[in-house]
Amino acid sequence: MVKAPPAPNGGVILIAMYVILVYDIGEKRVAKMLKHCRKYLNWIQNSVFEGEITEAKLKEMLMGARAIMNEEQDSVILFKSRNERWLDKEIIGVERSSIDNFL
Amino acid sequence: MKKSYYLFNPGRLSRKDNTLCFVPVDEDGNEGQPRYIPIEGVDNLYCFGSLDANSAMYNFLGKNHVSVHFFDYYEHYTGSFMAKEYLLAGKMQVEQTRHYLSDKKRMVVAKTLVEGAAFNMSKNLKYYQGRGKDVAKQLGQIDSFTPLIANAGGISELMGIEGNIRQAYYGAFGEIINDFDMGNRSKQPPQNEVNALISFGNMMCYTVCLDQIYHTQLNPTISFLHEPGARRYSLALDLSEIFKPMLVDRTIFTVLNKKQLQASDFRQDINRCVLKEGAKKVFVQAFEERLKETFKHRSLGRSVSYKHLVKLECYKLQKHLLGMEVYKPFKMMW
Repeated sequence: MVKAPPAPNGGVILIAMYVILVYDIGEKRVAKMLKHCRKYLNWIQNSVFEGEITEAKLKEMLMGARAIMNEEQDSVILFKSRNERWLDKEIIGVERSSIDNFL
Repeated sequence: MKKSYYLFNPGRLSRKDNTLCFVPVDEDGNEGQPRYIPIEGVDNLYCFGSLDANSAMYNFLGKNHVSVHFFDYYEHYTGSFMAKEYLLAGKMQVEQTRHYLSDKKRMVVAKTLVEGAAFNMSKNLKYYQGRGKDVAKQLGQIDSFTPLIANAGGISELMGIEGNIRQAYYGAFGEIINDFDMGNRSKQPPQNEVNALISFGNMMCYTVCLDQIYHTQLNPTISFLHEPGARRYSLALDLSEIFKPMLVDRTIFTVLNKKQLQASDFRQDINRCVLKEGAKKVFVQAFEERLKETFKHRSLGRSVSYKHLVKLECYKLQKHLLGMEVYKPFKMMW
């Protein structure tokens, strides 16, 4: 077999990452934002989402988020990590929703 | 990366706000807390429990190219919901059929598939031989059958050789697995624990292959080694031959030898052996871990997961059918 040339970004074609997204949004728009984010990430707590996502899907999600929010008043904060492995998650009190893929 | 979701609990899955909402229901009919599944991150759904759903949900899944695989109470594969083909390629279809119709061309593909399967099976045994298991006899048997593949005159002869190799291979299971006896391979229904796991695992492997084929231009109903029958995806059977030793059998050895599953995890029903609820979960989890495992691919020079490897195998097959590159089956190197 012919050896394929190495991809420019170190070989990974679909760049996945692990993100935590939090938002603070006016009451009128908050439900819209919730529904929008649910399509891409796992809901873990009010206004907090986490999950693995590809770079392209993240862009798509943020475009949608921009359309919903009022950028003068609302904010969305994104914490990015290369992999879930680099993230220690501790839950104190009740776990609102598990994000396991075994239901 | 997209994930597979495994639904063990009974409940209702519905389309809500353009994503999926799963509401578990317990035995008394009480609804649990709804769980929203991000549709953009769903690869496919495996449905083991009873599921309530409506057509709106299936339409939605279809649009997002998510397949749902169903399993019955005795963990048999019952079927899949698959969205209409979305990677249509007439040329590919014509070539695939042409390769099936010509006996000569079909034998070439079928032989390579059996060769790959045999190689991976003996590799498995060699691995355990290196760890002090006495499987020399079975290895010898496989080695004596392997040269016959190249000279096989027809599909039925080839299938016979494949059966002999597999029988020798299964003979070694009793040696590799510490606390369980396998006896003979029994299916429909499986008679003991190891056989139950093999049946369950093979079926999981089959759905993985089917799923990956769906995401390529190949037609899953036209196969080479197995006879393409009506109402089944026989190309997935062909492909799973190569991957069963690596994905299924290794997983079985691990869960049993590490005592993740024990005799109490199985239930002896009348005339059959089935996995208990929790045991299914343990096995599927181990299998999922295995699929996610990555290794450095030799010719691609980058890390590849076992799941993606199945898709790469489809691509290789496509290239062969289109006459671009001769198909070489994946051979385990470790």
